[in-house]
Amino acid sequence: MKQITRNIALDSAHDLLERVPRACIAFADDHGPQAQPITLIWRDDRYLVGIPQRVERQPDSGKEVVLLVDEGIYFFDLRAIYIRGQVQPIETPTDAPSGYTWFELLPLKIVAWDYGTLHEVEGER
Amino acid sequence: MNVDDPEVLNFVRRSMVGRIATLSRSGRPSITPLYFVTVKGHIWLGTANWTLAAREAIADPRVSVLLQIEQNPNDHRILRIVGSATVRTDAKTIRSSNLWMALKYILTPGSLRNRLSNRRLLPAERLYPRQSEEKGLACIIDVTPEQAEFLEDIQLGQTRSSGLPKEGER
Repeated sequence: MKQITRNIALDSAHDLLERVPRACIAFADDHGPQAQPITLIWRDDRYLVGIPQRVERQPDSGKEVVLLVDEGIYFFDLRAIYIRGQVQPIETPTDAPSGYTWFELLPLKIVAWDYGTLHEVEGER
Repeated sequence: MNVDDPEVLNFVRRSMVGRIATLSRSGRPSITPLYFVTVKGHIWLGTANWTLAAREAIADPRVSVLLQIEQNPNDHRILRIVGSATVRTDAKTIRSSNLWMALKYILTPGSLRNRLSNRRLLPAERLYPRQSEEKGLACIIDVTPEQAEFLEDIQLGQTRSSGLPKEGER
């Protein structure tokens, strides 16, 4: 059965990781879900996440985190990469700004979408 | 910051995409970008009741929403709203939401231009929500804001100030 899908291959959305129009993470703590804007560096296929040290609520090591990099306002411009994984603390990456706590996100699942490429596929949404 | 502060209300009104963080019943996080409208101080994010965001908002009503003024690149603030959510599928709410969403996201010069330049995709766009209707009901995630906090868009700040090398230069 044919379905319309917005999903695309990650390779087709690499520009989002290079330009990083909007980036944030979500994680859980005792207060509930936390949405936090981040600085993202995508280097050698590693996802390096920086959170200002002044931010009180930070994800614990090994914690499950979801990273969202997205862009667009109008329907056919909406694009995103969604990565679920675990974070591990790392040293400040080369050339990265100081004053941040840095983590590497180790992906478990990656999804990318682009509403400007809505297309038919067999049995997928 | 008070959620009724005029600066907060004005910011929410000008924002276009809400990124809502939710938790599953077992405490796993998610974050979903959604269109939204504001109605009587509430944030109504449009989706369907089978989606992860809606199912999680039902499982745990605590939510955290990030907003920014996408159409003003000089405004580097991000607004974080923390609140509680209910998921509504009643016909009156959905009709009202559809109307406000159409006024905000479809019947605008920018949207009409976007649709015109992607007109080859309009048949697929019409089919896409029909697939969703086969899986469940259209719904809104109705967020009652409890706290508001302005944050800095640190991605923009970082790339502008640090001169990080571009990907091809790494």
